[in-house]
This record gives sequence, structure tokens and C-alpha cells, in this order.
Amino acid sequence: METIAVYRESRIKTYGFQRATDLALIEFSYPLSQIKYLGEILSQDDIQTLRPRFIIAQETDHEISFVFCLPVKEGRDFHASLKKTPSPTPHTYIYPVGLIFFHGPHFGDRYGIADATFCTLSKADIKIMASGCSSSSIFLVLVQDDIEKAEEVLAKTFEVAK
Amino acid sequence: MEKLKIGGLKQSLELSQFDMRGPDSSEKIVLGISKLLASKEINIEFLTYNSNRNSYHQLTFCINQDKFSNTSKILTQECPLPMGWEVNCREHVGIISIFPHHSGIEILAIVMLSWAEQSIPIRGISTSLSAISFVTDYHVIDKAVKVVQDLFQLPDNHAPIKPEILYYQSTVVKGD
Repeated sequence: METIAVYRESRIKTYGFQRATDLALIEFSYPLSQIKYLGEILSQDDIQTLRPRFIIAQETDHEISFVFCLPVKEGRDFHASLKKTPSPTPHTYIYPVGLIFFHGPHFGDRYGIADATFCTLSKADIKIMASGCSSSSIFLVLVQDDIEKAEEVLAKTFEVAK
Repeated sequence: MEKLKIGGLKQSLELSQFDMRGPDSSEKIVLGISKLLASKEINIEFLTYNSNRNSYHQLTFCINQDKFSNTSKILTQECPLPMGWEVNCREHVGIISIFPHHSGIEILAIVMLSWAEQSIPIRGISTSLSAISFVTDYHVIDKAVKVVQDLFQLPDNHAPIKPEILYYQSTVVKGD
């Protein structure tokens, strides 16, 4: 069955903005040929207890590159766990970063949502460190000090549904 | 052993994936691509962006497969990339979204191990508010879904995994 929707909005509606601060960003790449071994590392008890707020992975030539955002203590633990692996996993650790995320009606099925988001942040000179858009959600990792300003400008582009 | 309970499982339609990688200017690229696709009314179904890597930046996005030719054409004709940037595309991919019960990393590890054993590739991952989404090749998506179904306990009366309603955005109201 096909459903065709036409949106008559002066501003794109969202269900509201959420944010998380004092997060650690950990980024690392792993050979695709050893992805099973990475799965084993992530299966370790000390890592299984972690509750990342955001994860993305991108495939590159022969590697898969991960970004994890975790609360600071968990970030430190993950950092330590990656260093302890039999062949230490080289990684980047950045603290502090902030996360702002929001979702809206059928965001995953509509064009122009990413454009409205990136354009708004760019006009406000806010640099995006990492982002993931899937399942009607937009997640943005920013320099922590930019989070408040980001919510301010995004709230002018998107209307929070009441 | 008891299977890990999950809240649900969803499979996407057939999609195409574009990977753009380059040494710098990534914000301009992201902005340019998202604007261009919006102007052509092409929905980005999935997007990941990382500007934080030491040697290069990467933007990955998926669009509906029926927009592949058009998107390839407009990227070539209307989006000149700076020096050092490259584009790679996969014409046939799909997304499997797993709705966890606060055990995202456990699910990630289980899927990585199991798919690796079954030679099912992972082309991308992103978490959202409620799901963890895995991009894989479309020709193995049924096998990938079967592996996930065997690994996790789905709720009773689970909704169909394949999409039954195709949702499109239009600017034209019927009868206007």
C-alpha cells in the first residue's frame, strides 16, 4: 500500500530536543577482515555494561570505523578496555563533547530534514563532529560549548509540537 | 541459553548507498549534498557523518534504490568535489533495524559476531532514539534477518518485518 503525504508546515515539526553533555567520544577503525574479533572485544563483560548514547560505524576501504559517545566514566572505562585488548586498539578519545538529538513525524521518510538541520548549524557557525540520521531521529555530536546555541538555533528552524 | 529479548525488528526497502571521503572541507560537502538532494526531493533514508577522523572525513548516506541513477547523475553533474575527495557507491543495500531493550552494545556485539560467521557484511551502523540500524547488502538481507530472528526473542504478535506501507512525501495534493 502506498501513502503519499503532503506537509503544510511553516516550520518542520519535531517532538522536541534532547541533549546530553559531559560525554566522551571514542573513535577507532578496525580491519574488516577482523570484524569478528572486534565483536569478541565488544562481548567482554566490562564492555557489555556500557550504555553508549550514540554509535555510528562507517565502512572505509578495508576497515570499519566506529564512533562511540559515552558518559564520561564509561568513556574512560571503554578507553581503558581498548588499551587492554591483546593487540591494543588504537583510538581517539575526546572529552568533553555534547550530543543533541531530536525526532519528528516520518523524519525517515521525508526529504529536506537533514538539509534544514545542517544548514541551520552551518549558518550559526557550529561545527558538527559526527552525526547519524536513522529511524526518524537526528543525532548531532558537537563541541560541548555549542550545545546550547545549537538548540537555540534549531528551535527556530523546527517547531516543537505541543 | 535464553535468547536476549528485543522490542522489535524492521527491514527497509531496497536502498543505495553513497560513501564520500576526503581530507577536509567536509562541512561544505555535507551541506551541499543535503541541499542538493532536498532540492531534488530525494529523501535521505540513512546518514552517518564523521569529521573527526585524523586523516579524512566521511559522509555516508542511503537513498531509495529507485533514485540511484538520478542521484548518481546529479552528484556527478551538480556537485563537484574538492581535490582528494572520492565517491564510492553500492547500488543494492538494505537496513535492518533492531529495537533493543537498553542493551545496544550487547546487540551490536552479537550481530557482529554472527554476521561475520555467516559472511554477511556490515556496510554501516547508526543508533537512534529507539533502534540500532545495520546496513548490509540487499542480496543477503533475508539471510541477515533470519540470523537476527534466530538470535533474539521477538515479542509475541510482532508486526511484519518487511514494510507493508510505502510512504512518500509529495508537494502536490491530489485534486488540487
